[in-house]
Amino acid sequence: MTAMPVGTASTLVIAPMLVVLVAAAGTLLLGRHPRARTAVSLAGGAGYAIAVAAIDWYIVLAPDAPGIATYQVGDLPAPFGITLVADGLSAFMLTMVATLGIASLVFSTRHLPDGERRSYYFPLFHFLALGVTGAFLTGDLFNLFVWFEVMLMASYVFVAYSGGPQHTRAAFWYVSLNLLASAVFLLGVGGIYATTGTLNMADLAQRLANPAAYGLEPVPVVGLLGLLLSVFAIKAGLVPFQFWIPTAYRAAPPQITALLAGATKKVGIYAIIRLSFTVFAGAEVAIDLPLPLVGVAITGDSPLPFIGAALFVMAAGSILLGGIGAVGRDSMEGVFAYSSIGQVGFIAIPVAIATTAAGPELRRFAIIAALVYALNHTLAKGLLFLAVGTVRSATGTSRFADLGGLAKRSPPLALAVFVGSLALVGIPPLSGFFGKFLVFDAAARAGSGPVLVLLLVGSLLTIAYATRLWNRSFWGARTDAVEAATVDPVQVAILVGLAVAIIAVGVGFEPVYEFAETAAEAALDTEGYVDAVDPQAASDLGGLNGGGH
Amino acid sequence: MTTVIMRTTARAIVPIILVVAISLFFDGHNLPGGGFIGGVLTTTAFAIVYMGFGLDFLERGILGRDVDPGKEPSRDRVVLAYRRLFAYGFALAVASGLAPLLFGKPFLTQTFAMLEGVPIYDHLEVASALAFDFGVYCVVVGGLLTILSVVGAE
Repeated sequence: MTAMPVGTASTLVIAPMLVVLVAAAGTLLLGRHPRARTAVSLAGGAGYAIAVAAIDWYIVLAPDAPGIATYQVGDLPAPFGITLVADGLSAFMLTMVATLGIASLVFSTRHLPDGERRSYYFPLFHFLALGVTGAFLTGDLFNLFVWFEVMLMASYVFVAYSGGPQHTRAAFWYVSLNLLASAVFLLGVGGIYATTGTLNMADLAQRLANPAAYGLEPVPVVGLLGLLLSVFAIKAGLVPFQFWIPTAYRAAPPQITALLAGATKKVGIYAIIRLSFTVFAGAEVAIDLPLPLVGVAITGDSPLPFIGAALFVMAAGSILLGGIGAVGRDSMEGVFAYSSIGQVGFIAIPVAIATTAAGPELRRFAIIAALVYALNHTLAKGLLFLAVGTVRSATGTSRFADLGGLAKRSPPLALAVFVGSLALVGIPPLSGFFGKFLVFDAAARAGSGPVLVLLLVGSLLTIAYATRLWNRSFWGARTDAVEAATVDPVQVAILVGLAVAIIAVGVGFEPVYEFAETAAEAALDTEGYVDAVDPQAASDLGGLNGGGH
Repeated sequence: MTTVIMRTTARAIVPIILVVAISLFFDGHNLPGGGFIGGVLTTTAFAIVYMGFGLDFLERGILGRDVDPGKEPSRDRVVLAYRRLFAYGFALAVASGLAPLLFGKPFLTQTFAMLEGVPIYDHLEVASALAFDFGVYCVVVGGLLTILSVVGAE
């Protein structure tokens, strides 16, 4: 067994997960003391933010930072033990989720359902955060499956949380679909293990890059990667796997929906980026897939063009269906749920461009565009779903028929929603402007006319539904519900905080862009990833061919 | 389901199931078994008791407490105990994972010690993994029994 250095950088990798675990255990034990439970929960949130900030600085951003750090759980060497890896991409994702997570957590202390269910709210919240964090940090494919399950367990309960018939129905659909997805995920993981003899991502990458040396026949990997891609697309809510989103997003408490849209969706996107670029990009597989029906042939020497083609179709469907669907909804959360489907399409388009990119420069740029857009979506959609919570707790409804004149009733709330909507639309100087600008730029650099037209149509639809939402709920005559509303100042303060973050990202875009650039470089740096994890030493232990314990 | 056949069978098989569950639990760190499967098996023993003797039997028949038949099952003292078991089990598992950090080892690192000269057994292996496994066992038993008794009452 190789001795593992237990330096600070290394222990830091697992720090956010440990903080969340301890917070979950603490809130479970303090079930009967609401004040102490809330205090432990908030302390956990603060600890999480500090841990993520420390990862950002000491591992990724500081001048002398290593750029990547690994942690072997249980002192078992890679590829047998579970590897956790923090690199630029993980850190970028964690930072994004931590920002929204803190907002949602503080919001939760002001907007909670009554009764017994309350005592399980915070433990579940931390389990959800644990699943998301684990998925971002793990360097092991099977472990990724486990974190997906942890995330799902918590979100199942949240979807069914309010306990009404429609919530139970939504949860039933959610559970059924996701169990199916889990089964497919497991099939894909099992197939990859059978094909390559390993599930450690770094080991996988090095074996696929040099299949002859390991005696592998890597062709099945392309199909198996397709299976995994469909699972990640379900998580991300890409067309044709989007149908669970509107009901589930309506059923869950709004501050949790903010996390589902802002964090768990991004796990799907992250998994696509991590596996496609870091792990499978170097795979030497000749692809020749003629599609006579549409008159194109997918060819290449890695699985990426195949993924790219599928992603293009799914992203285009998402942008159109999400945009058109959002225009006709009759409630705030309905509009935002469909809008989430469309916005994920906007994130998937640059990822697809990156997979089919001719040169490394365009590939890097397209990933930066996807990450910046994902950041904007997390902040803006998180803000907007939290705003749904504020409107609901103030007026008791979020249906357009019962709303109107909110702008004059609570100007700060209106201002925050205004900023969030404009960020979705992409008005400078907000974060959304740069997100959209970079995505358009990536499409233009790829020289794809139809994609540009698609993006333009999607943007016009965004303007349409954002305007409609504004007109129906914030302008016009005040309804009785709005007249009788009491707006919680703390909730509004959280919304304003997120709005300020959106403006700050836009105004001080330079460092954000640099962070995204570091993340994109980390995503593409397969060699650095393999070197950091260094599964070679263990593979040589006697030709075990990956048979772990 | 509370027939004589069911009750007689339950009397015979519940102790066997519990013994197998315990032996599986102790094998866990070296052989197939462990906290999860031991916990699930223990829960099936409880489930058979529930099926044979009814939901209130544990409280009334074994613990000798008074039970109001009509009240919310989630308020039963035994269900509250299941919930506590879940919470303490989870805390134990987390704590046993964190303990190696105090010795400068990574999260979840395990070790073991051999005790020589133990009566009957001669030598006995004491594995630190047992603490984690016991936490898992408590989580599984507590969680499943809470679900079983609350959903079973509905």
